[in-house]
Amino acid sequence: MDVGQYLGIFLDESQEHIQALNDNLLTLEQDPENEDSINEIFRAAHSLKGMAGTMGYKRLQRLTHDTEDVFSAIRSGQMKVTSSLIDILFQALDAIQGYVDTIRDTSDEGENDNESIIAELNKFLNDEEGGEAPAKNKKASGRASEEAASGGDYGASGEKALYRKIPLEEAQKDVMKDAVVAEKKVYGFTVYIAESCMLKAARAFLVFKAVEELGEIIVSNPSSQDIEDEKFDFSFSIFVITGEPIDKIVAAIKTVSEIEEVVGEEFDEGMIDSNGVEDTSGNAQEQVNEEAHETAGAEVSVETAAVPQADRSASEASSSSKKAAPAKKPVASQTVRVDIEKLDILMNLVSELIIAKNALVSSAAQMSGGSNSESQAITENVEYLESVTTNLHESVMKVRMVPIESALQRFPRMIRDLEKKLGKRMQLTITGEETELDRTVVDQIGDPLMHLLRNSADHGLESPEVRSGRGKPETGSIFLNAYQEGNNVIIEVGDDGNGIDVEAVRQKIIERNFIPEDQALQMNDKEVIDVLFDPGFSMAKQVTDISGRGVGLDVVKSNIEQLGGDVEVKTKLGEGSTFIVRLPLTLAIIQALMVLVGGEKYAIALGNIQTIEDIPLSEIRLVENKEVIQLRGSVIPIIRLSDMLDAPVIDRGNENLIIVVVKKGDSLAGLVVDELMGQQEVVIKSLGKYINTSRIISGATILGDGEVALIIDSNALF
Amino acid sequence: MADELRIIDNDITQYIVVALGNEQYGIDIKYIDNIVRMQRITRVPKSAEYFKGVINLRGEVVPVMSLRVKMGLPEGEITGKSRIIILKVDQSGSIGVLVDEVKKVYNLRADDIEDNVSHDSKSGVQSFISGVGKVENGLVSLLDLSTIIGEVD
Repeated sequence: MDVGQYLGIFLDESQEHIQALNDNLLTLEQDPENEDSINEIFRAAHSLKGMAGTMGYKRLQRLTHDTEDVFSAIRSGQMKVTSSLIDILFQALDAIQGYVDTIRDTSDEGENDNESIIAELNKFLNDEEGGEAPAKNKKASGRASEEAASGGDYGASGEKALYRKIPLEEAQKDVMKDAVVAEKKVYGFTVYIAESCMLKAARAFLVFKAVEELGEIIVSNPSSQDIEDEKFDFSFSIFVITGEPIDKIVAAIKTVSEIEEVVGEEFDEGMIDSNGVEDTSGNAQEQVNEEAHETAGAEVSVETAAVPQADRSASEASSSSKKAAPAKKPVASQTVRVDIEKLDILMNLVSELIIAKNALVSSAAQMSGGSNSESQAITENVEYLESVTTNLHESVMKVRMVPIESALQRFPRMIRDLEKKLGKRMQLTITGEETELDRTVVDQIGDPLMHLLRNSADHGLESPEVRSGRGKPETGSIFLNAYQEGNNVIIEVGDDGNGIDVEAVRQKIIERNFIPEDQALQMNDKEVIDVLFDPGFSMAKQVTDISGRGVGLDVVKSNIEQLGGDVEVKTKLGEGSTFIVRLPLTLAIIQALMVLVGGEKYAIALGNIQTIEDIPLSEIRLVENKEVIQLRGSVIPIIRLSDMLDAPVIDRGNENLIIVVVKKGDSLAGLVVDELMGQQEVVIKSLGKYINTSRIISGATILGDGEVALIIDSNALF
Repeated sequence: MADELRIIDNDITQYIVVALGNEQYGIDIKYIDNIVRMQRITRVPKSAEYFKGVINLRGEVVPVMSLRVKMGLPEGEITGKSRIIILKVDQSGSIGVLVDEVKKVYNLRADDIEDNVSHDSKSGVQSFISGVGKVENGLVSLLDLSTIIGEVD
C-alpha cells in the first residue's frame, strides 16, 4: 500500500475541514462566545493536524498544530476571541489552504514555512497570561477523558478486546515470544472505527501506517488484504511488536480521525499462548491453566488450517459483536464517492440508450398499423421500455445533481474580506443553498457568481456616509437567492445599493465613444444596461483589484451562456440592482415539444412552454409595428418562427395560428409554428465548433428515424 | 493495381481524388475518417452559405459543407454519385464535405507534387490549394484542408 492512493481522500477531507474552519471562524467573529463553533473549530483543526501528520506533510502539520494550540486555549477559556486574533487565524487558514492547494497540484506541500504566521500565533499564545501552559493541561486532561481509561490498560477487560479471540498460528506465537524474550513489548489492539465513517479501509490503512512507524504489525484480523478491500465491519484487531510504551501507540492510532475507540493491552508469553481460545479470561496467566490452553490453542489452529480463509473463523469468533453492529447502525445514509468521469460516461450511455429507444418507438409506431397481437405486444413493451429509460435518465441525472452550496461556501468569507478592504459595512444573506444543479454547472458557476457579488460590493453598495444620508441602514445588504423554476434554476444576486445609473452609463458610452452619440441617445434603458455586459466596457472610475478591469460582466455573461444559461438585470436607481442568472437543470437530456416550421422539425424545451394557443388571425394586433395577441388580459408579442429561422413560409389557408407561448421569468412570447408533433425526450447534441448559427439554436438532437432536428432556445428570443 | 503493390516509402502521400464538376481535387487520406453516401441533411438557419446543414453520423451530429460553394463554384445537382467525406482534422470533432463524386486513390511522391501554384488562374480558389499533383491522366489540385475548414467566420 502507498499513501499516494489516499491523497484524494486527504485533499477532499482537508477541504471539508478548511471549510468548516472558515464557516465557524465567521460565526465566531460575530459571536465570540459561541461554544459550538469553538468546539467545531477545535475538532476540525485537530483532524487536519492528524491527517497532515499521517500523510507526512511536516510544514502543514506544524502550522495546524500551532493553530490548534490557539483554538485549544480559546476552548479552555484562556484566551478571548478578538478581531485581531480572528484576522491572524484567517491568515493561518489561508496559509493552510495554500499548502493544500500546493499538495493538490504537486502532491508536495512546498517550501513555504509561513514563519511569520506561526510567530504571530505563538505571540498570541504567549501574550495571554499563562496562556500556553494551562492550555496544554487542558488538552491533556481532555485527551484523558476521551480515552476509555488511562494507564497501560485501554479498557482491555471489556468484551471489546476482540484481539483476545484471534487464533494465533504457532509461527506467530513464536515470533511474539521471541520478542518478549528480546525485551520488546507485544501488544494486542482492537480498533473501532466510527460507524459513520465512509472510508474505513483508508482509516484502517492510516492506522496501520501510524503503528508501523513505531513497531511491527505481526498479525492483523481480518487480513490486511481484506481490510484494504473493505471486507470488515467497523473494527479490526492487530498484534504489534515494538519497543515503545502502549500509550504512545494508542496515541498514534488516535491521530487518525474517525477512530472511535482503541482497546489494547500488553501480552506476556502466557497470554500469547492462550490467545484465541473462546473461554480465555484474558488474565489466564497461571501455569496451571497453561497446559489446558495449549491443547485448546492447538485445536483452534487445526481448525484454522481446515478453513483456508482465516478471517472466516475469526468472524465467527467475533460474531457476537458483529450481530450487534447492524442493529445500532447510524441513520446517516451510506454514500460512495464516484469519479465524475464515470458519471459522464454513464450519462453518455443513457443518452445513447434514449436515442436507440426513440428509434424503436418510431419503428414500433410504423408497425402498429397491423392489428395482430404481436404488434400489440411490441407496442406495449416499447412503452414499458420508454418508462424505464425515462426513469433511468432521471436517476442518473439525480446522481449528478449536487446542492449549489459547495459553490457558495467561499462567499461569506469573501464578503468579510471585502468589507475590510473597501471600508464598507455589508451583510451577505444566502438562501436556497440546497437547490440542486448538475455537478458540471455547480463547478463552473462559482466564478461568475463571485464576480456578481464583488460587483455588488464594489459598485453596488454606497459608502456608509452616503447610505446614512439616504436614510438607509449603514450596513448594506447583499443577497444571493437560489431556487428552482420549472426546468431552470434561478440564482438572484443583488444588493440594496445605488442601482445602475442608466444615464451615467449612457454618458460613459458616449464619452468612451463606445457607441456613436446619436445612437446612444436613442437607446432604451435595457439596451444601455446591456452594454455593461459588452467585452471591453468598464464603468469603474478607478481600476481596483476587486472589479473594474473591464473583464467583469462580459465574462460573467459568456461563462453563464456556456452553461446554457443567461443573465439579466433588474435595477432601480437609488434602491439597488438584482442580477438574475438562469441555468438549465440538466445539460444533456430534456423533454421537448416537437414542432414543424416550414416543413422542418424543431424541438422546444417543454420547461419553457407556458401554454399552447389556437388564435384566429383576426385577433392579431399591431403595436409599434409588432404583432401581438391578447391572452387572458395580457399583451404578448408574437414571433413568427419561419422568419427567425429563414424557413419557407407555408400558407395553409388556415384561419387560425398555432402559437406556443413560452416564458422567461415574468415575460411571455408567442411562437408561431405550423404544426405540433407531440412531446419527446431529446438528447441535446452540440453542433460542433465549425458551424455558426443563430443564438436561438442551442443544439441539435437525433430523432427516432435518425433525422437531425434543431433545438430552439426560446430564452434567446426575448 | 501496380501502384497498390508498391512498397510504401516515406515520401509517398495517398490522396483520394474527388470530382467537382469537371475539376479534380485531391484530399490527403490521413484526414479522412469515413466516406458516406448522400443522406438527409438538416438545414441550419443563419449559418454560412456553404454549410448545407448537419447530418447524423452514427449518433453524432456532424456539420456538412458543400465543397462546391466553398470553392466558389455554382451549387451542383445531388446525384447517386454524390458523397459526403467525413474529415477529422483535429481532436475537436468531425466535419463533412459534400463532393460530386469520389474517383480513386492516388499515391503521390513528393516529386509528383508541384508546390508553386501561383499560376493557377482561378484566384478565388487559389488559397484553398496547397499544391498540384501529377497523375497519369492529368493534374489534380491538392486541397489545403486546414484553410478550408479552419476558417471560422
